[in-house]
Amino acid sequence: MTCDELHEHLDPFFDNELGLAEAQKIQQHLEQCPTCEAIYAGRLAVREALQKPEVRFTPAGDLRSQIQAELSKQVRPAPQRTWRLPAFEIPNWLLPSLAGAAAVLVLWFGFNIFPTANRSSNSLLATVTAQLVSDHMRSLLPDHLIDVVSTDQHTVKPWFAGKLSFSPPVYDLSDQGFKLIGGRLDYLGNQEIAAVVFQHRQHYINLFVWPKSESSQLPDTAFQKEGFNIYGWAANGLTMWAVTDAAPDTLKTFVDLQKQKQAGTE
Amino acid sequence: MNEEEKLTRFEGEMLPLMNDAYNLARWLVQNEPDARDMVQEAYLRAFKFFGGVRGETGRAWLLRIVRNVCYDHLKKRKVYSSDAELENIPDYNSPESKLQAKSDVAAVRSALASLPEDFRTVLVLREMEELSYREISEITQVPIGTVMSRLARGRQQLADLLKKMREKDLV
Repeated sequence: MTCDELHEHLDPFFDNELGLAEAQKIQQHLEQCPTCEAIYAGRLAVREALQKPEVRFTPAGDLRSQIQAELSKQVRPAPQRTWRLPAFEIPNWLLPSLAGAAAVLVLWFGFNIFPTANRSSNSLLATVTAQLVSDHMRSLLPDHLIDVVSTDQHTVKPWFAGKLSFSPPVYDLSDQGFKLIGGRLDYLGNQEIAAVVFQHRQHYINLFVWPKSESSQLPDTAFQKEGFNIYGWAANGLTMWAVTDAAPDTLKTFVDLQKQKQAGTE
Repeated sequence: MNEEEKLTRFEGEMLPLMNDAYNLARWLVQNEPDARDMVQEAYLRAFKFFGGVRGETGRAWLLRIVRNVCYDHLKKRKVYSSDAELENIPDYNSPESKLQAKSDVAAVRSALASLPEDFRTVLVLREMEELSYREISEITQVPIGTVMSRLARGRQQLADLLKKMREKDLV
């Protein structure tokens, strides 16, 4: 390979957009040619400089709420008096009871998380997720994110072992883009729960874990709340909820990886 | 899907990308108030078209809209002040830029800011947002070959600038 040929392929090589055979030829040339090696070093210096998080710009304060305010102006207000369904109309005063009934059904089938809790409380799911979202938000305050700082699963897992009556799954997923950065004790009501913390790009994911009650059958549940994405599921006798400001498909990838890891070793 | 459901889905999918959108806009229009306006405008535009079929990830789609909004804005601005860009090129020999460049981050920022728009855009998308060539080609609406050559030239210019700054002991 000549130097000119190398220059043509250097950037795709650098960006992992080249086939293996070609990449090997480039590698060989770089090992032998100091001139090209210097150019390659320049590429590395540029990447190192630009990937410092401080070089990025982040919006100050209230941009998010400004956008939300503008967006909500785009949506026409819902019809005032009634909800119109094809066959019949439901007056507004009945809606709360219908919502209540629906919530009770949901709880009956899926969200019996605390058997001792008051079952007539039809907002249990809402309460749990609202708490998790506020736990997540609080964790993003300076110095609130992690109690044990470690990217090593063999440090984080034993740390929990000394503090909780159950053992949360702790897997580093750095290779797949979700870096384990530590763990934290958090609360759900009065119950102590585990929060395993991951970083994906500049987003954080809190994975909240606590023991599942015997009768609970949490099906996979994904939804959005206050702009955060939430995913809940149950496995190996544990209830798990992941909360993040990353996108839904990112969260789904994370959850799938967790499930694979957990299924693979337990 | 009614409008309110659409809004909920849109916010859940798109608001998490706001920092990426802002970073790109900020690097394209080069000042904070305009960047905020661009991001807001991009979100309104995106909401209008949200829900249709698209062949790319949500992130690439939103960034394409951000880039288009910024380019429209820059085109308009250029009609009125065609030498605005010239004024923006930092002079590394002036005493005040030496002061500014004292910190590594400020130096890197001013070096990147001094690159031509096309090079700056692909560098932000590749090195900061870590997008693939295909995604960058969709966002910037040029062939992959052009993406590659812009990356090559942009990186070379930036590498030279960084080297020069290091030699002058600015970094």
